[in-house]
Amino acid sequence: MISIVGFTNLLLSFLIGLIIFFSYFFNNKNTISRTYYNLVFFKFFFIIVSFLTLIYAYIVSDFSNQNVFENSHSDKPILYKISGAWGNHEGSMLLWLLIMSSYTLFFTLNKNLTDNIKKLTITFQTSLFLLFAVFVILTSNPFLINSINFEEGMGLNPILQDPALAVHPPILYVGYVGFSLILSLALAGLTFKQIDYEWMNTAKKLTLFCWSMLTAGIALGSYWAYYELGWGGWWFWDPVENVSLMPWIAGLALVHSLMITKKEKILIRWIVFLSILCFSLSIFGTFLVRSGILTSVHSFATDSARGIFILIIFLVSTGFSFILFIFKTDDSEEKLKLLFINKSTALIFNNIVMIIACLTILLGTIYPIVIEVITNKRISVGAPYFNSTALPILLPGFLLMSIAPALSWQNNKLPKYKSYIFVFIALSLLSFIIVYLNAFNVWGFIGIALGLIIIFSSLLSVYFNCIKFGLRNFINHNNALLAHIGVGILVLGITTSSVYKSEFSVTFMINEKKQINHYSYTLLKLETNQNSNFQELVAVFSLYKDNKKIAEIKPSKRYYNVSKMITTEAGIYHSWFQDFYIIIGNEKDQIWSVKIYQNPLVSLIWIGVIIMVLSGLLGIRRA
Amino acid sequence: MSLRFQRLLLIFLSLIFLTASIFLILFNSKKNLIFFYTPSELLNSKTQINDTIRIGGIVKKDSLKNIEDNKYVFIIQDNNNYVRVSYTGILPDLFREEQGVVVQGKLIKIDKIKADRVFAKHDENYMPTSIKKQLEKNKYWNKSYQ
Repeated sequence: MISIVGFTNLLLSFLIGLIIFFSYFFNNKNTISRTYYNLVFFKFFFIIVSFLTLIYAYIVSDFSNQNVFENSHSDKPILYKISGAWGNHEGSMLLWLLIMSSYTLFFTLNKNLTDNIKKLTITFQTSLFLLFAVFVILTSNPFLINSINFEEGMGLNPILQDPALAVHPPILYVGYVGFSLILSLALAGLTFKQIDYEWMNTAKKLTLFCWSMLTAGIALGSYWAYYELGWGGWWFWDPVENVSLMPWIAGLALVHSLMITKKEKILIRWIVFLSILCFSLSIFGTFLVRSGILTSVHSFATDSARGIFILIIFLVSTGFSFILFIFKTDDSEEKLKLLFINKSTALIFNNIVMIIACLTILLGTIYPIVIEVITNKRISVGAPYFNSTALPILLPGFLLMSIAPALSWQNNKLPKYKSYIFVFIALSLLSFIIVYLNAFNVWGFIGIALGLIIIFSSLLSVYFNCIKFGLRNFINHNNALLAHIGVGILVLGITTSSVYKSEFSVTFMINEKKQINHYSYTLLKLETNQNSNFQELVAVFSLYKDNKKIAEIKPSKRYYNVSKMITTEAGIYHSWFQDFYIIIGNEKDQIWSVKIYQNPLVSLIWIGVIIMVLSGLLGIRRA
Repeated sequence: MSLRFQRLLLIFLSLIFLTASIFLILFNSKKNLIFFYTPSELLNSKTQINDTIRIGGIVKKDSLKNIEDNKYVFIIQDNNNYVRVSYTGILPDLFREEQGVVVQGKLIKIDKIKADRVFAKHDENYMPTSIKKQLEKNKYWNKSYQ
């Protein structure tokens, strides 16, 4: 019954979408009437009702709905009942539609753009909505009704039952899907050749928002992988991670390009190109993940019809966009003020670096697929490829980042350049000493030096800004610098946690004490807990430094009754300088095998990301 | 420096950067490709001792032995051939005898691999497509694996 309500609302939303789309061709007036806005609102209204219906079906465990039956169970805690609604392919595509409509509705509130641009943007956006709606209705309907009555559902995959992963998909989608609106806006601007100051302003706000959300979404997924997969790391260059990174990098390039054009109206073509690229990469990623072409830890239940359908959506939207791009752009651009060291040059170089990094990742991700199709051999591209290719390519970008915001737009000078050179030399020496006193490692040196240089030269620029402008509008003047400080902290965290990570495979008996890498660990006891939908075996470890107890660490194993699956939960103690990370393995004759990681400065990664996201969001206000 | 010279310098630097990236990609992709075989394919391949490869198949019944703390040996098989695997570390929760597994590591003898990664099936409904296709081809596919 509920399912029928949900499906009807989905159809209604689709029909209104059709009306909005066709009204563009029958009503040639370039003004937007009240009714038009109402239509956009109702399209949103029906889809949100549809989505809430699905959530309701999950909350009350209505197993007459096929989707609920396959992905839920009445024992689950309420949070995972709700998040189960988007923890599967069908539900997540409905969420995709909802977010797309929300963006359209939000866009109607914009007061700065002219009506003709707004109307065309909404039309493009609606046509994308219609494509995805057809996809949901035909191949991924979350409202199918079970032909047989079931008392109980099949349960949600246990590793998805986690707070970070409950909010990960919506936030990630807000990022991905937001790029669709940027694409529509770019196409509308292109059609009317009206890419002006207001257009830039709107595009910049949007891009900053989407990019920040995408960053937060990727970081949440990464944080989840850190403690749930139990591999001691937080990034594995898994294909699915790569496909999320590509639109992220393209989005970052777009954010930076929009900065240049704020000052001088140049590079319009490039910006439109990047806008198209961002959403194309988002859909392409969706295609790779949902079609089952990639073997990855994220594989959804796959179905070749879906893959083909998404491929069609990808080809139609990307093809149309690029054709419009080729025929509609004109050459009447101002000359770029390319000097050796000014801001525009730095930003252009930054764009080159990012696009090449993006391409490298794309190659590594699709190469195995191409090889399999051509030679029928299966290969995988190992993480070392990405580390040793993408990172060196990004290096000059990182180096440039430390001074770029301080460069001038117009002339060829870096003000107070001596202080920057001083920071550069002093910190390089300092990091060399730090690295030399620990174990020497080239990557360690480069990473630590870069991180410190970025942080301190950005701080220096913040200081100069404060002298120049005072503390009024602090955020306005220093927003980009703050984001760069976040990146510096992130680089430090990434370097130290990956280069200086130590890993130990040991065994413990109860009450046994072992000295590992300056710390000692004792296995105190094992406890069992009974939760609503899983049983848990918790090993309680104490951590000592110089015979003083610092912390208790509780890694565990969970057995989920419904899916009969065991999951491993890492036990982590975050200290200021390192994470102590323990996973328990199998037991044999009362002897437990245990893996211990000591990951220095991992927390900096999350702190850096939080700073980046916040300064991205704060930047929206200024734009 | 004249404007013209500065621009030339910029273009020149970008070109150097581009070529360097292309070389990096070519060099690293050659070094870091990991081939995936089933035990039977491994025998017919040109894999050298000490190459890093991935092997996928089914863990043979009663082959898993824990020789010492955290050190395991087991056998991966398809219908015709097998490969012995040694592994130090914690086996994944989903590792079971008579179920699908993929290991990655160095080939140390013609039929023995020293694994540094063991990937078991992700959940009960899921088998990596790459293994599935391969096993189907070799008629070693059992419906219950799905």
